[in-house]
Amino acid sequence: MVTKRQLGFIFIFLGVGAALGMFSIDFLGAGQFQGIGPAQRQGLIVSAIAILLGLTLLPLGDRPA
Amino acid sequence: MTTPSYNPDIKLNTWQGAIALLPKITIGLALLAFIGYFIIYVIYAVELFKFPFDYDQGEGFELMDTVFFSRGEWPYRDNDAYPFYSSNYPPLFHVVIVPLVWLFGPHYWTGRLVSFIGTLITAAAIGYAVSGRGLKVHHGHRAWLAVLCGLTFLASNYVYHVGPLFRQHMFMVMFETLAVILLAVTIDREEADGRRYNKSLLGVMILLLAAGYTKQLAYATVVAVFIFLFLRNPKRAILWAIPFAAVTGLIFLGINVATNGEWMLNTVTANLNPFVPGQAEGLFRQWFNLHTLIIVVAAIYSIYQLYATRLSIYAIWFVVATVNSVTAGKWGAGESYFATAIAAACILTGLAFNHLLHLAKIRNWQSPRRAVWLGTVLVPGFVGLLFLWQASRLIHMPTHTPTLAAIANVLGLPTGVMIAPQTSCSAARPPEAIPYFDAVGATLLGRPPNAADKSAGQQIAALIAQGDTAAFSEDAGFNLYLGRDVITNPTQLLNLYNNNAVDLTQMLTMLDEQAFDTVVLRAQFYPGPVLDMIGQRYETTDLVQMNGFVYCIMRPR
Repeated sequence: MVTKRQLGFIFIFLGVGAALGMFSIDFLGAGQFQGIGPAQRQGLIVSAIAILLGLTLLPLGDRPA
Repeated sequence: MTTPSYNPDIKLNTWQGAIALLPKITIGLALLAFIGYFIIYVIYAVELFKFPFDYDQGEGFELMDTVFFSRGEWPYRDNDAYPFYSSNYPPLFHVVIVPLVWLFGPHYWTGRLVSFIGTLITAAAIGYAVSGRGLKVHHGHRAWLAVLCGLTFLASNYVYHVGPLFRQHMFMVMFETLAVILLAVTIDREEADGRRYNKSLLGVMILLLAAGYTKQLAYATVVAVFIFLFLRNPKRAILWAIPFAAVTGLIFLGINVATNGEWMLNTVTANLNPFVPGQAEGLFRQWFNLHTLIIVVAAIYSIYQLYATRLSIYAIWFVVATVNSVTAGKWGAGESYFATAIAAACILTGLAFNHLLHLAKIRNWQSPRRAVWLGTVLVPGFVGLLFLWQASRLIHMPTHTPTLAAIANVLGLPTGVMIAPQTSCSAARPPEAIPYFDAVGATLLGRPPNAADKSAGQQIAALIAQGDTAAFSEDAGFNLYLGRDVITNPTQLLNLYNNNAVDLTQMLTMLDEQAFDTVVLRAQFYPGPVLDMIGQRYETTDLVQMNGFVYCIMRPR
């Protein structure tokens, strides 16, 4: 059984991973825009929401998710 | 000391008795509204069953897929060679219809009936889920709420538009819904009994497999199911995911080998369409405006479960299906991509209101009289009002009969809209009165086809029959009507062409040699070189309007 805290960590992990993925696109030179493109911006917003959601779940402890 | 919750023995005076009828009135009116939508849905479906040509452009090709299966042949074929036809959908929906084609021949009503029945099964399943029957832990059984939620699904403009069409999408939604509900029941029983019901879980996997082999989009529900299983028991989720993936992959490989790789090319490569962000955004806005109540309630109840209780499969399904609905922005996709999220929202809304009504009834309201007013009058009455409000946002109504037009008048609705016929190959035509009104706005889906449409289809078929060959046609229906070959699947060709996965040489040669006596265009979906060659070697001789579209009949120059 996954707890609410563990679910929070999963959200944070996915959010951070997605954000890093967005920036790695630039490092790989695959982006079509200078700086942060529109798709990257939207992706980063989603990542930020996932991280925030994860943070709010951490205090809920070992209750089942 | 007893809790001052609902007590049916409390005496009410006359006006209090009248107000106590509020929930019965609002719930009764809501039921009446949604039963009205259901009657409209049946009228539309029956009119479609009687119509022997394409109503939606892809229907004829799904019928053709069924014809191939009825002959024991695969519809995943080489698009480079005559008749330049292939399917881009998995087989299950078409295989289910095969017995009807064997018995009655290749008719559109066969697939339309199966799809329509699929939506009724989905609605019944939604009602079952909301009723809480089959669950050990529930908040009471409220039949009226179950009926309202099931009917809300059928009243969705999107379900109404697509439900009785010869399209596989709603059949996929049926399998998805059955899989999710069976999973909810299974896990509930397991947690109540402390036993494993693996046969029941196997049933869930089979239903998921059926959904995926009806339409690829079911992957979202598969993801939702395994997320839910992972949250409940990570090890078990992985143990079930491995054989599920293996069986899915083996079937995929088996079909791919049997079709010399055409399955992979036509169901995967040909579905890699460009994404149109504006289309996705527009559809999301429309979806929200139409289904506001059930989306808001489902979202709130999902958040409630996330923080206050446990995430149910329905909450996870709703979120994943909603996120996956972004794929409606792909070229060739559309409103039906929201149907899974709508089914999930209907169930969550029902469960949320059931929970709310239960809490209102058992809560300690401090005084018995307050318990009656809040617990059994105001809260249920408000729920009924909310459903009435939801009904008012889904307005869609054909007005082609005097009775329906009179009802529209009484309700203060327009008895029609002005829509210009869609044309890709003729001069623009002025708007015409369409006896149909829809909250979606101007749409050519939803209006029941009429005698003039049938006559127009027969006219096009007669024009094709003047020649000796099958027509090079964007709709399959005319060749099927005449018993001739179905030539091309235009959107499939365009998708493959855009992915550099089709060789048009033979097709262009045949068009150049005017090997087809007739070309029929509706939306000019063919790849550019094909349209160029048609323009050079054929000329328009007749324009026929059917279902709000102008069909261009072309002959060799």
